[in-house]
Amino acid sequence: MTDGHPILEIDHVSRSYAENGKEFRVLEDISFQVHDRDFTCIVGPSGCGKSTLLREIVGLDRPTSGRILFDGEPVRAEDTRVSMVFQSFALFPWLTVTQNVQLGLEAHKVPEEERQSKAKKYIEAVGLAGFENAYPRELSGGMKQRVGIARALVMDPLLLCMDEPFSALDALTAQNLRDEILALWTNPDLPPSAVLMVTHSIDEAVYLADRVVALSARPGRIVKVEQIDLPRPRNRKEPEFYGWVDEIYSLIV
Amino acid sequence: MAVGRKELRALAVALIALAVVAAVLVPSAAFTAGYLALIAFFSTVRMTLAFLLSLVFAIAYGTAAATNKRAGEFLIPILDILQSVPILAFFPPALLFFVYSFNGNVIGVEFAVIFLIFTSMSWNMAFGVYEALTTLPADLREAATVFGVRDWLRFRRLFFPATIPKLVYNSMLSWTVGWFYLVASEAITTGAFTRERPGLGSFIYDAGQRGDLASIVVGIGVLAIVVLLLDTFLWRPLSVWSERFRMEQTAGGPVSRMPWGYERLRWLPRFPRIRRWIAARLAPLAHGWNRAATPLDRFYVSHPRVIRSVRWLDLSMFLVILASVVVTGVVGIAAIFLSPLPSLASEIPVAVLASLGRLVLAYLVALGWTVPVAAWVAHNERASRLITPVLEVVASIPATALFPLIIAFSVLAVGAFGLEAELAAFLVSLFAMQWYLLFNLIAGMRSLPGDMREAAKVFGLRGWTYWKRVLLPAMTPSLLTGSITAWGAGWNALIVAEYISYAGHVYQVGAGIGYLIAYATYTPGDHGRLLLLSVLALVLVVLAMNKLLWRPIIRRASDRFRIEIQ
Repeated sequence: MTDGHPILEIDHVSRSYAENGKEFRVLEDISFQVHDRDFTCIVGPSGCGKSTLLREIVGLDRPTSGRILFDGEPVRAEDTRVSMVFQSFALFPWLTVTQNVQLGLEAHKVPEEERQSKAKKYIEAVGLAGFENAYPRELSGGMKQRVGIARALVMDPLLLCMDEPFSALDALTAQNLRDEILALWTNPDLPPSAVLMVTHSIDEAVYLADRVVALSARPGRIVKVEQIDLPRPRNRKEPEFYGWVDEIYSLIV
Repeated sequence: MAVGRKELRALAVALIALAVVAAVLVPSAAFTAGYLALIAFFSTVRMTLAFLLSLVFAIAYGTAAATNKRAGEFLIPILDILQSVPILAFFPPALLFFVYSFNGNVIGVEFAVIFLIFTSMSWNMAFGVYEALTTLPADLREAATVFGVRDWLRFRRLFFPATIPKLVYNSMLSWTVGWFYLVASEAITTGAFTRERPGLGSFIYDAGQRGDLASIVVGIGVLAIVVLLLDTFLWRPLSVWSERFRMEQTAGGPVSRMPWGYERLRWLPRFPRIRRWIAARLAPLAHGWNRAATPLDRFYVSHPRVIRSVRWLDLSMFLVILASVVVTGVVGIAAIFLSPLPSLASEIPVAVLASLGRLVLAYLVALGWTVPVAAWVAHNERASRLITPVLEVVASIPATALFPLIIAFSVLAVGAFGLEAELAAFLVSLFAMQWYLLFNLIAGMRSLPGDMREAAKVFGLRGWTYWKRVLLPAMTPSLLTGSITAWGAGWNALIVAEYISYAGHVYQVGAGIGYLIAYATYTPGDHGRLLLLSVLALVLVVLAMNKLLWRPIIRRASDRFRIEIQ
């Protein structure tokens, strides 16, 4: 499926923190590209800096050296073409589902009517119709993450960044949401065009991604970028599937 | 809860009918009742004005300190010091300032009263806002940034809602403290002149001066009714509502809805136009502030070295300011000491020790009864439902209003030994301290996770082992928070506790720093330097206790128990 042009370019990115006079290297010389229409997963053991990398890609953090270009320009956090889904959902507890979904539209001064209709559309798209006026704490974990996804999609992003979006959910819910994300991504009428997801689950990465960027632990370096060319829907029982899982596992451990 | 609208209406009609009959039969009682309602209204208006002022101050100050790191570096220490200064020490200079600014007009006195209440209400609210914003989860901030939520919208959607639970909680606390100082400030004597403003506080004070016990009880009763009404119709609904703004700890559970009475207040005007007008005026301000700050922040982020040198510059500037403050202070104090000291100044060290002893005693007694009661209330659902509201109302009757009763009791109990002033000072301190301990402890033990309690039960922890392994560690953080607040209140109370004028008689302790301050403030003559020295000594002791006693304990406790100290 990798037929698009590169939309995101990560160019020799390193990140280090100074703590107590010592320098901690978190990421070292990371370079790869994300193409339009691509589903990319970054996998790595915990502490490999994958979440830091994602935060740099959306503009929440800055690399110590190197460049991150989105559509040929340095990324800015406010850019609506890049949107984000959080591991901890990061919903505002005092806002209803609709208000949470509308947050970005409100910030970008979209007129009230358009806000309402767009929010409605995406709340329905993630299967939350009927819960528009519920508060986050009235929802289950899976429903909360659906709100998180709707909130990101309503911005019409080219690139959807997801930070371990399913790791706080139970296994069944997580699997349902994985399939729904794939459905949204393959639907040409709905965003996102490309997905970049961080995960520590190799199984999840092989199930979802066209390309898997494997990172090593402390400091995070790219071990390999794998092209997963299994047809979809993928079946975990097939030998090709766990062949990939085994290979990536041996790379990063 | 299940009382219907009909029953309430019937009750109201019955009460009004009863009141009308009583008014016709005893016109003088009706007049008194009307007068009491009027002065209760005056007092409440004073409190409300001071509270609104505190609210604006707390939100602005707390937000600035929490969202701007460099501002926070000096705003928070300033707040710390302001909080440590005994509030009543603000009063004489404030009174003079406002009275002279208004040429002796009563408006000046009103301003002084409101200012004093403001100083008693605002610091803890500002701290509450600051704490709420510094503990705001990072992912919420990040989400706001990613979705472009900035400036005014960021304040409205993120910062302000996040502060609401702490703000409501601290507001309730502030009102309780505020009543204490309202009663102390509505009738006040400085030097040669007495100023009184009509209100519940001055009513109780006057009754005390006359030794009129019946009026005192009536005054306290009316105060209790006002407190109860406010609690039922304002703070209870607000605190239930504020739960909605709490960060989630556990998933699930229904969102708190407003209790019944509140939904019916929806018809009240909400002034959408005025709100929009204010929002429209404030938006450009916030926008401008952010526009100025954003490029600066960006610059700092991309130039870590500049930050380091700016920090050095900051630090050196701070040191220069500190040095100049110290030098002027030393010169000023030297001037005081070089001229002959006021004769009473030599009593200050003894006075400080005597007051400290009084507070230690009151603290121990308070600890002695609040710890078991808190444990009992926290473990007994029914007890807590029945007793907590009663305790809350009793607690919100300010110790200053109880003076006359405390004095009467002390005279009865130990008057024969001439110790009535000592006992009264002790009791006032106890009343000022104990509630902070009690409510903090109850809250602390309630927050003990249910599964921990269950684990203790499963493993058969009982008796002393249960206290040692579960209850005491769980209550440590709230005990510390409560202790700090209680001591702050205790030091403040001393100023009114060690020197009480009642029924034409002055009850003063043998030695005490509060007595010295009160003496310097209230007796005619030039006691300016004595006042300054005593206040200085008190501030030093309070600051020293905070820095040398409480902070280290808190640090150790939070290391050991890994609990967030709020």
